[in-house]
Amino acid sequence: MTKILTGGVGKTEVAGIVSKLGIDGIEIAVSNDMDAAMKLRGGQADFYLGTCHTGAGASLGVLVGLLGKPLCHTFGRSVPTEDEVTALLAEGKKVFGFAIDQIDAVAPVMARAIAARG
Amino acid sequence: MNTLAASTNHLDFTLAQQLTVIVLAALTAFISHMALAVFNDGTRPFMLDFIQGRSSRSATAAVSFGLSAGFIFGLGAPMALSSGVLNPWLLFLPTDILGILAFRKWLAPLLGGAWGALIVFGLGGTNNLAHKLPVDFLTAMQQMSTPILFLFTLFPVLAITKQFGRARGGIAAVIELAFVIMTMKLWPNVFAGSLAMAAGVLMLIGFAVRKDLLQRKADRAAFAAEGTTDTGPQEADPDDPMVSLFSASAARLRRYLPLFMLLGAGVCALAQMHIFGGGEATSFLIAKGQYSEAAQVDFYRVFGFIPLIATTALASGAYGIAGFTLVYPIGYLMPNPILAAVVGAVVFALEVLALSYIGKLLGKLPSVRDSSEHLRSAITETLSLAILFGSLLAANVMGGGLAILIVGGLYLINEAMGRPVVRMAAAPAAVIVGGILLNVLYWLDLFTPVKG
Repeated sequence: MTKILTGGVGKTEVAGIVSKLGIDGIEIAVSNDMDAAMKLRGGQADFYLGTCHTGAGASLGVLVGLLGKPLCHTFGRSVPTEDEVTALLAEGKKVFGFAIDQIDAVAPVMARAIAARG
Repeated sequence: MNTLAASTNHLDFTLAQQLTVIVLAALTAFISHMALAVFNDGTRPFMLDFIQGRSSRSATAAVSFGLSAGFIFGLGAPMALSSGVLNPWLLFLPTDILGILAFRKWLAPLLGGAWGALIVFGLGGTNNLAHKLPVDFLTAMQQMSTPILFLFTLFPVLAITKQFGRARGGIAAVIELAFVIMTMKLWPNVFAGSLAMAAGVLMLIGFAVRKDLLQRKADRAAFAAEGTTDTGPQEADPDDPMVSLFSASAARLRRYLPLFMLLGAGVCALAQMHIFGGGEATSFLIAKGQYSEAAQVDFYRVFGFIPLIATTALASGAYGIAGFTLVYPIGYLMPNPILAAVVGAVVFALEVLALSYIGKLLGKLPSVRDSSEHLRSAITETLSLAILFGSLLAANVMGGGLAILIVGGLYLINEAMGRPVVRMAAAPAAVIVGGILLNVLYWLDLFTPVKG
């Protein structure tokens, strides 16, 4: 079971949208930046999806500081394709930030790409 | 010169105001060059790698541009054009980028100052021109202030509902409505939402603090029952990576205290001059001369931003250009720029000195951090509706049904295209485009302006 945590302004929306997709093999839970950073460090969670107005500030702030930039990626306000996400996952990115006004579009793409990776 | 319009709209900047903007833009660019503070909360996390030399100046500037461009052109510019009042997105996001981009120390203030000059002269001129058009869409924009003020009053209720459920949200709604009606009856000169907003924010903070304290008590009881000495990850521990990262950043920022005090003085003085609005809603209130209302709106907005700004500053070692944004409401209310500068400097000093303590406190109060996220999301929701509705009111005033069709239509098209313009600014931007279009139609004899 791949464990995904959400944080930032739209954390409940992201968790809600992903849960509704009903994808097997992934579990998504609402968290916050500080707890998520500690859980990712400790291996208690696998991925983090953060949201805010820029797609990077509130969503990634503490995580970039604690986990380092190589593990983090922000889409800003853009919407990635599943292939782009798959490529980033292959690079080892674990923490993703995107903008609150693009949650509807980005959250399902993220969830599908993470699930496909197994 | 139309003195009547000038009394309600700040069209022309005085020399002192122009100089303040230019000097402040130079200062903010310099501070961003030094990686001491950036305005964009999204850029801040990336400053740590830059400070520690793991990423280059140009790469960091590219990140800053990527995260800010949409907000400069999609939010800052339309808001400034439509209100005639400067805002932090138009002023400080470009100086973030220019400051980081400048490859020499002296170049940063030069580029920043040039940007400041460009916007005071550009905006003043464009604004004057727009007011002289047959269809004066800028005056129509003042329709924004009523929906903004009244809907913004409700934001604590939305945050409480999202965080603490329907029952408490419902209670908060009833209490706020009662306060609004009471204020209207008893103190007709006070903005109706003042007490209601205060009550709502206090309720939210109260619920959150209570929840955190109960949780800590429960945790301690659980640990005591297990007989372990572990007090959980929240306690201050020098080996805790979060604690060591946070204290290193706080120490770095304290070293530059005088520079931060200068910055606080500048931002507070700018707010005092009433040519600048700090929040999405505030520009329209400042433009209408409703300074105490603007101060209230920005003061309550602060609660949604303190945890975000504190944690990103402590995680990255770079502070916010406007700090906790407390200097905005304080500035609006100050009697003169000199006092504003002094108070702004003191406020910034206190903020920087308290950062470390605030970070530790926030670590122990996860529900309070949650509340701030819910507050920000509630602010976005109330203002999105208010600004959309206000824009349609403005459209109605400037051109009736045809204008409503153009403005509403442009908003919907922006949505359908995946929001190239930030949602919050899409409707005001549509009013500007609609206004220009109506003027063109007027010249073509295809449209008769609605006279108010």
